[in-house]
Amino acid sequence: MDANMIISLHNVNFYYGPSRALNDISMDFPEKQVTALIGPSGCGKSTLLRLLNRMNDLIIGTRVEGKVLFEGKDIYDGHVDPVEIRRKIGMVFQKPNPFPKTIYNNIAYGPKLTGANAGDLDALVEQSLKQAVLWDEVKDVLNKSAMNLSGGQQQRLCIARALAMKPDVLLMDEPTSALDPISTAKIEELIEELKKNYTIIIVTHNMQQAARISDSTAFFYIGNLIEYNKTEKIFTNPDVKQTEDYITGRFG
Amino acid sequence: MEEKRHTSLHYEKELQEIKNSLIYLGALTEKAIQDAMKALSERNSEMANKIIKDDDDIDKLDTELEERCIRVLALRQPTAIDLRFITTAIKITGHLERIGDMAVNIAEKAIQLNQEPQLKPYIDLPRMTDLVTTMIKDSLDSFINNDLERAEKVRRMEEVIDDLNEQIFRELLTFMMEDSKSIHRALLIMQVSKNMERIADHTKGIADMVTYMITGENVRHQTREIS
Repeated sequence: MDANMIISLHNVNFYYGPSRALNDISMDFPEKQVTALIGPSGCGKSTLLRLLNRMNDLIIGTRVEGKVLFEGKDIYDGHVDPVEIRRKIGMVFQKPNPFPKTIYNNIAYGPKLTGANAGDLDALVEQSLKQAVLWDEVKDVLNKSAMNLSGGQQQRLCIARALAMKPDVLLMDEPTSALDPISTAKIEELIEELKKNYTIIIVTHNMQQAARISDSTAFFYIGNLIEYNKTEKIFTNPDVKQTEDYITGRFG
Repeated sequence: MEEKRHTSLHYEKELQEIKNSLIYLGALTEKAIQDAMKALSERNSEMANKIIKDDDDIDKLDTELEERCIRVLALRQPTAIDLRFITTAIKITGHLERIGDMAVNIAEKAIQLNQEPQLKPYIDLPRMTDLVTTMIKDSLDSFINNDLERAEKVRRMEEVIDDLNEQIFRELLTFMMEDSKSIHRALLIMQVSKNMERIADHTKGIADMVTYMITGENVRHQTREIS
């Protein structure tokens, strides 16, 4: 991989109270590429994703060991502001979770809080919605509640909301698992488009989705990184037998 | 290495059925080749006609197998070893179907040759027949048992067949030079030999795919070192 590594993990362990959820993970995430994290439930992939923008800080009793470098700086250093990290490393969740506000204010909310100039907001809202390929569908109803949108539209709104903060990295935790196939295809298409400008790290249970949209795939099993390889390699001829058993449905 | 079973037993069964059908198709083509040689050496045109007719069964089975593989691709979206297995199976069925066509070609030549006095006793062609039927069998065994060594053996045998084919050509050339009345028959026998040689090529094609299936490495079109 010749790409620049935007996030690097060095010997990372993660604990929920006394139980260890991630064991000695070291891996690099290439810039402006899509990396998929796969593995059975409880393997630690979502834990790892949340650790990348300090979302796990919000869970009491968790602890991180090792280094998580974002653009070369450890995001768990004492003087680092987690809010600033989450601005640069945005997140989209499994279930679309728009704010119970208008479509416009869903996008404008974050930038307003961080002091965006009111005059720039209109342009920012339009730009973010266009990037999320939602603009044409909602441009005439910007002042209607976001809750009236379909599930797929809501999810694209959440992506637009994350983009409005001008992040470098987008973390996606099963962003299409609650969506129908057409909405899923739209999100996947969007991811392909977004990777020109953003680094995307996605957790998915849908193996075909990982195969379709990602450049690299990491397979986790009970807290261990089993194999991290080019996606094409993982799905045609993985190096590790455990990976093969999992992706071919020979597991457990 | 013994593969673990799929969680889905239906899927497991579908893959097993593809294997079984391929073995059956292999057996049909082996028999067609052996019978084609017999039709020639025993001057039995009735047998030759039966081979031509029975090729329909081989074609039908080939179509069925291909459809079954496509169904697995569409419905199961196989990956890794399963993906390599299915793509290999599709290629193998194509090779076997072509081998069936070669048997038909040989049977057609036998019918023509049987109408004229026999040019010479057949010695090398039956040897070739034994070798190519072994190659069909070995290439399919290597597929069923994930046996790299056996696939390699098929590739080596293919060179022996090439040599035999050339030898037969040279011998028949002398016949043609000595007596122009032998040219027609000699050319027909040459075509039989050429068909045998092409069957060997197809078994090598199967062996190459088996190597791909097991290792993920594409060895087709690699030139072998001449030792």
